[in-house]
Amino acid sequence: MDACEGACCGNKPRRTVSDLFDRGYKRNRLPPFAIEGAALHGENDLSARFSLGLKNGMIESVRFHASTCITLIAYCELLTELAAGKYLRDAVRISEEELAAVLSDVPAMKRDRAPLALNAFRAALAAASRFETGEAA
Amino acid sequence: MKVVYIFATSRHTVSYVLGKMILPQLEENRHGVDVVGMFFFEDNNYVLMKGNPTGERLHKVAKKTGMLLMGCDQCCYERDIADKLLDGVPIGCFPDLYKALSGNMPDQVITL
Repeated sequence: MDACEGACCGNKPRRTVSDLFDRGYKRNRLPPFAIEGAALHGENDLSARFSLGLKNGMIESVRFHASTCITLIAYCELLTELAAGKYLRDAVRISEEELAAVLSDVPAMKRDRAPLALNAFRAALAAASRFETGEAA
Repeated sequence: MKVVYIFATSRHTVSYVLGKMILPQLEENRHGVDVVGMFFFEDNNYVLMKGNPTGERLHKVAKKTGMLLMGCDQCCYERDIADKLLDGVPIGCFPDLYKALSGNMPDQVITL
């Protein structure tokens, strides 16, 4: 996502739960790209589903539809920002530990949102791989 | 009667109404109703931070009576205090609050 260059927040968007949620909340309302992964469901009636925009085998952009839980949306938004510009084979290496390291202030009781977001993202990567190899047709 | 207090406004809500009225009454066991939960919005969440004198007293009462204390998750993240709250005090949104109260439902919810 483009950095805000206004005086309000400087040139570099912060990767905190609150700021990621602000950006992710807007992305959550966008229509999905054509390549969609399966919708996954977790505890507390939460769900997440990712879609990918590809260009020459590279992830150009990522969108998602997730339940309105601040922690879940923050993880989903973080995934979209980490994955943009990566090849599928590289994006699949994004780990739960990486998410946890960036958002280290998430309390233990809310960390179950990370695997939900990550598994939903990986489902989209799998769908994209099938699309790339022509299996999806 | 069982009640839940929701601290939604940021005037003298915590420092005065909670700190000088409700909390002393709870400590003296003469509040008049069973307070089964308290939920905090906005700047009111600062009372739930470790080391806050009012929060520490409230935490002591909560541990003794089983009263639920919960902070609004968005409010706590926004203030960078989600990982600085009193031990065992959860953050959450309405679904978390209702779930946490489901085993001990209040008769009244009072918004302050």
